[in-house]
Amino acid sequence: MGKLYKFLKYSFITIWTVFVVAPFLWALTTSFKDFNSVNGGATYIPWVDFEPKLEGWKVLIKSPANGGVDIIEPYFNSLFVTCTASLISIVLGTLSAYALSRFTFKAGFVKNNDITFFFISQRIMPPIVLSIPFFLFLGAIDLLDSLIGLIVVYIVLLMPIAVWIMVDFFNKVPREIDETALIDGCNPYQAFFKVVLPNSIPGLIVAGMFCIIFGWIDFFFAFILTFTEVQLLPVKIVALNSSITPWWSLSASALVSVAPLIVVAFIVERYLSKGNLSGAIK
Amino acid sequence: MSKIDLNNISHSYNPNDPNPIYALNPFSMTWENGKRYAILGPSGCGKTTMLNIVSGLVRPSAGNILFDDKDVTDLKTESRNIAQVFQFPVIYNTMTVYENLAFPLKCRDFLKDKIDERVKSVADILNLQSFLNSPARKLTADQKQLISLGRGLVREDVAAVLMDEPLTVIDPDLKFRLRRKLKEINEEFKTTLVYVTHDQNEAMTFADNIIVMSEGEVVQAGTPKELFERPNTTFVGYFIGSPAMNLFETEASSNDSVKINNTIIKTNTNLSNLKDKKIKLGIRSEFIKIAKNQSENLLNVDVEKVEDLGNYKLLTAKMGSLTIKSKINRETEIPSSDVKLYIPAEKCCVYEEEKLI
Repeated sequence: MGKLYKFLKYSFITIWTVFVVAPFLWALTTSFKDFNSVNGGATYIPWVDFEPKLEGWKVLIKSPANGGVDIIEPYFNSLFVTCTASLISIVLGTLSAYALSRFTFKAGFVKNNDITFFFISQRIMPPIVLSIPFFLFLGAIDLLDSLIGLIVVYIVLLMPIAVWIMVDFFNKVPREIDETALIDGCNPYQAFFKVVLPNSIPGLIVAGMFCIIFGWIDFFFAFILTFTEVQLLPVKIVALNSSITPWWSLSASALVSVAPLIVVAFIVERYLSKGNLSGAIK
Repeated sequence: MSKIDLNNISHSYNPNDPNPIYALNPFSMTWENGKRYAILGPSGCGKTTMLNIVSGLVRPSAGNILFDDKDVTDLKTESRNIAQVFQFPVIYNTMTVYENLAFPLKCRDFLKDKIDERVKSVADILNLQSFLNSPARKLTADQKQLISLGRGLVREDVAAVLMDEPLTVIDPDLKFRLRRKLKEINEEFKTTLVYVTHDQNEAMTFADNIIVMSEGEVVQAGTPKELFERPNTTFVGYFIGSPAMNLFETEASSNDSVKINNTIIKTNTNLSNLKDKKIKLGIRSEFIKIAKNQSENLLNVDVEKVEDLGNYKLLTAKMGSLTIKSKINRETEIPSSDVKLYIPAEKCCVYEEEKLI
């Protein structure tokens, strides 16, 4: 029984690993190929099956004048927009979540849970529903095709995630912690910053991770709300495609774009394996 | 260290409702400086609400609270200088044990040397010296509760230390030592201690004064002796003491005696106004003795069972449908038949509508 279980367990893990890693390997090898090695049938092993070339990678950093696509600027645009929007969302989201978790609000029939649901409901609508209002709104305040405009939109999209995760997290932090801090002599702000917040770092990390992922991978709004002045990475990558699909540079840019998320995953994984996030996500 | 006055305090969690439900019915009380109080009562009787009102976590619906004759009803918790320890350990996970203990002093801008001195002395009392530099979250549950307790004791100038069943998670042996320690702290530093519990032994051994509560009402406040010998209500008689007070439904038969199963029992209570009224006679099992040469106040009973409880024997006897419990000295022989129990008149309590006359 034990042996069979072990065998099945490891078989499953192996298959799963192959399933997860294969696309990355495919992208990695493809990024070093050229037109001939891609179109000449399936090839896998560099130097044996095909001669590795750096052309796919070079294109990404060359300026368009030299026949390249230059993803460096969009890359930093994406980093800037995602990080700024995530940071602001986390700060605002955490503050609102704490208020929703600890204080009682009442406006007519609207109570705390309704407000929390209002935040989450922003993500229930299909994004396409939001695109027209966003477009008109940014147009009205002259922020179409700008980094600031994108940040504003991303805050609207990311803050519900932060609120949702943090309300759940704060609800699990016993109220006695705040009360003890008050008794020990903190005012409510000190109680929050000195005691509750340091205890909520696992929740902040999870909320931050989700914000960064959702911000980083967004194509839809970046595509609709920007034109020529500002471009984000997902839009640029899609723009790489042409009549002859450049698999090599597409693969290279896919790897580059996924890199920050891998870094985030490794940081979060350290916390996950320590068990520090127990209760942070459910 | 202050005198705390609670004047006509009452509290409801739904005060705007047409029919508000009171968690705490109006009561007044004074907690003297430097004494030990226990608030005793079953779960949900308003003990914690009372503490939270004193510490300011809850604002009472009516009445006011005075610390040393100064009205603090509207003063925020952080400005009241009060310490409160909860039932379950509350520690600051991200800090070390030392930082946890120092926190209340740091929040009040004490000097570093003073903080150090106080933290070390509290750690000494609670045997936490060797853990001072460990992260607080790594400690066991009872050590964590010691930290909570330590944070309550670290300030010398607090108005009172309020403890809400603080020793629930601590093992019995340590519990006993800590209770004694708390008593010592109270005697040495004259800190007012208020201790909430539902365990009467804990209350009896710890406090100078016990406040018994039931269903949001303060039913009796007094010394352990008063509560034991003269319970104000049948509830107190039932709740305090083990076994509970013997209570017999009866009626007055003359000015000072009652009739139990046709036996006349004299009491020291004037019953002249209670003719034909339903009353109850209460007597502690500790005061009921096997009759030797007494000639009155005797009950003829059948022995149902005798349990040897180590330091005493518990006699359960029947008289018709009545059950009588009596604590008998270990050395006393209990005859198997023809047992007469003596009820001392001065220990009898008479209750009308569950209230002591």
